[in-house]
Amino acid sequence: MVALDLAQNTLDGLMVGSSYALLAIGFTLIFGVMRRLNLAYGPTIMAGVYLGTAAFISLGAPILVVLAIVILGASLVGLYVERLCFRPFGEGARTASMVASFALWMQIEEAAMHLLPRHMNPFPALVASAPLEIGPLMLRADHLVMLAATLLIAGAATYLLARTKLGLAIRAVIDQPRAAAIVGIDVERVMMLTFVLASAIGGIAGFLIAATDAQVTAMIGMWATTKGLVAMMLGGLGSVKGAIAGGLLLGVLEAHAQWFLGPQVRDMVAWGLLFVLLAFWPGGLMGAKALDRTMAVGRRV
Amino acid sequence: MLDVQDIVTAYGKIEALKGVSLAVAEGRITCLLGPNGAGKTTLMYSIAGVLKPRRGTIRLGGVDITGQSPSAVVARGLALVPENRLVFPQMSVAENLEAGAYQRRDAAEVATDIERMYARFPRLKERHAQLAGTLSGGEQQMLAVARALMSRPRILLMDEPSLGLAPLIVEEIFRIVAELNKDGVTIFLVEQNVHMALKVAHHFYLMEQGRVTFSGEPGKLAEDEVIQRAYLGTSRQTSGDTTSSHKPG
Amino acid sequence: MDGFLITVLSNIGMISFVALSAYILLLSGQISFGQQAYFGIGAYVAGIATVMWSWPLAAALVLGAFVAGAAAGLVGLVTLRLSGIYFAMATLAFAEIMRIAAELFVYRREIGGIETGPDGIDGFRDIRYLFANDISPFQSCLIVYALLVAVLATLFIVERTRGGRMLRQVGEDPLLAEVNGIDVMRVRIAAALSAGAVAGLGGGLYAHLLTYVEPRSFDIMLGVHALAYGLIGGLGTALGPLLGVLIDIGLLESTRVFRGYRMIVFGGLVAVLLIVRPRGLLDEVAISRIRQALRRWRHAGD
Repeated sequence: MVALDLAQNTLDGLMVGSSYALLAIGFTLIFGVMRRLNLAYGPTIMAGVYLGTAAFISLGAPILVVLAIVILGASLVGLYVERLCFRPFGEGARTASMVASFALWMQIEEAAMHLLPRHMNPFPALVASAPLEIGPLMLRADHLVMLAATLLIAGAATYLLARTKLGLAIRAVIDQPRAAAIVGIDVERVMMLTFVLASAIGGIAGFLIAATDAQVTAMIGMWATTKGLVAMMLGGLGSVKGAIAGGLLLGVLEAHAQWFLGPQVRDMVAWGLLFVLLAFWPGGLMGAKALDRTMAVGRRV
Repeated sequence: MLDVQDIVTAYGKIEALKGVSLAVAEGRITCLLGPNGAGKTTLMYSIAGVLKPRRGTIRLGGVDITGQSPSAVVARGLALVPENRLVFPQMSVAENLEAGAYQRRDAAEVATDIERMYARFPRLKERHAQLAGTLSGGEQQMLAVARALMSRPRILLMDEPSLGLAPLIVEEIFRIVAELNKDGVTIFLVEQNVHMALKVAHHFYLMEQGRVTFSGEPGKLAEDEVIQRAYLGTSRQTSGDTTSSHKPG
Repeated sequence: MDGFLITVLSNIGMISFVALSAYILLLSGQISFGQQAYFGIGAYVAGIATVMWSWPLAAALVLGAFVAGAAAGLVGLVTLRLSGIYFAMATLAFAEIMRIAAELFVYRREIGGIETGPDGIDGFRDIRYLFANDISPFQSCLIVYALLVAVLATLFIVERTRGGRMLRQVGEDPLLAEVNGIDVMRVRIAAALSAGAVAGLGGGLYAHLLTYVEPRSFDIMLGVHALAYGLIGGLGTALGPLLGVLIDIGLLESTRVFRGYRMIVFGGLVAVLLIVRPRGLLDEVAISRIRQALRRWRHAGD
């Protein structure tokens, strides 16, 4: 029986973890080009999802329109965050950038609460079919859609980074921003595009999670920021592969912990793992190396 | 080709360049010598658009490029081989070269240019799939030069290409500099290696404490004195007899 | 003085301890998202000491600060080699672990016929020491500010000593500090330890003034606010974080002018302020200007 539980938990965890993976991809792209933490990432997603929800509630917008509104809303709010918290600061004012993004977190959340004051709001459901049965295991159809969407987006992001000119520019900016400027890459533009792209990916993640729950709560901003951050750190900074691995790992871990130890301990296990990993293995699962250390050297050179 | 007039660049309140004027003639190799902290790298970055000068003008082929973004300066045909090379360490050699051609739209031509770079720098061809961060210092320098050439520049700025390299490799670098120049690339070179620099340069400047203190052709000043001033910045004793020769171009 | 004003002043005073705690770490060059953990530890420990063990308040506060400091020192030791986002996330992870631990922490005993003590997610209620000892809100407020002034005075003195200069040097450039013969690791641990103790002291006060404490009162919001206060008020002086708290709680939360829109106003304001002054209102430059002006003014008076 335990083996079956383990298998079912792992399966559920992978499904939920795929949404964490999307959040982590967005986070890691932003952190990669900016080298600064965007605490307003979750609230950016919340803004997009709330706009979509409002359209759904008041206009009865169909699900695809809601998706479009979520992506567009998250992208625009992401642009706003970039303009106010990142573009005006150099790399020398990383703390200021981060605190400014926290200030906008508070701002965006309050604005979202004005848009939809209730704690919980309905959201269009993704697929309303019965769970699939694979032998003794159960698989929710909407979870499957979530996993497929994650793989699709992760694949698209990998293709973009590896094969396109914008991808080359993004990687160059992540790798060595000054050299990127020297070879003629418009670094600010690349940063802006990356920011918008990451916000759009985050919007999709927010949409998927809200659609599988068929509801959205005011906690979604906080949820997205913390889950995305933990998944990114677990996987190691600055790699899409790491972000996916970190997200899936977090999902599976949480599923097991919840099943065997309960919801409170579930969160504690995730944070505990992160703490131990950071203290003893700061590169993360797939991180190229401790970015901060290379950055310290880079500044000196 | 490149005309710098009275440039002042500052970090906060500290002026690293206190009114620098110099000129780089088309088709020639111009050298800038001077001790550490004289402001040479600051000048390179100011010309390339990475740093914004507070005052003065920079003209490239007659067009004012003062304060323009680095990408605009690259578009005007200038490429910089930066101090410490600054290759993209997590990208392969081939990707570094592609990044060097970032602004070009002629993909087929870029591919043949990469082949040309491999012909000129065979070591890079051997290591084309390797991450640039794993190359030796000399190989990274070759890569930085090749990457700069990928934009097909009219003028190439090189900031201390021989820094920290073994003598044999330094000689190779200077051989390449001379070769490039023969192919028609104008070169503006910052160097600490006075002996080698004076061998290839058509014209040179001395810079000390944010100012140009000498301008002339190699041979106009005894190499010993150039060395002394380029390393130690002893302009206090000699400033009297050199200010007269401070004529750019 | 009216009750509302006293409450606001007390709140400003208590939150200032966490802000100062984050500030001490900022000086050492570390960004912590987790100073709320030590605030919480101080609150629980001091509360348990007066309620369950019938300790006097002073001893309970000292114990709270001590335990918080010790915990911070230990965490500092483990996270010694981390910096930047790694350190920030490790401190946040620790704080969240502590918060969830508090949600699971039940320690109930019958004291004077009533069962009391920390009760998991419901928190720790009826910390009635001040009430039982007839200490008025005004007197409590005075206690808060007396301790705050003591902490500030200590900080001011330390900032002028070799230790304080070492702290700033480590914060500005750890590699250079190391080259200059400073034991960076020791300075960092000392900073973490004292920052933890300061937050713990504030927590102890908080538990007693509010008469209760819940796990949710020290979540990530408190930690990031504490960090933000230093950056808003300025990193040039220990008064900076206090100014930050004063602006947020004193001006915006309490005046109720922007009710419902406080965060919209405050958030935008802070972002714009940081663009103009990335190291806060009272940054190092502002402080040296003020010092010069004071000196001139003093000389003019002579």
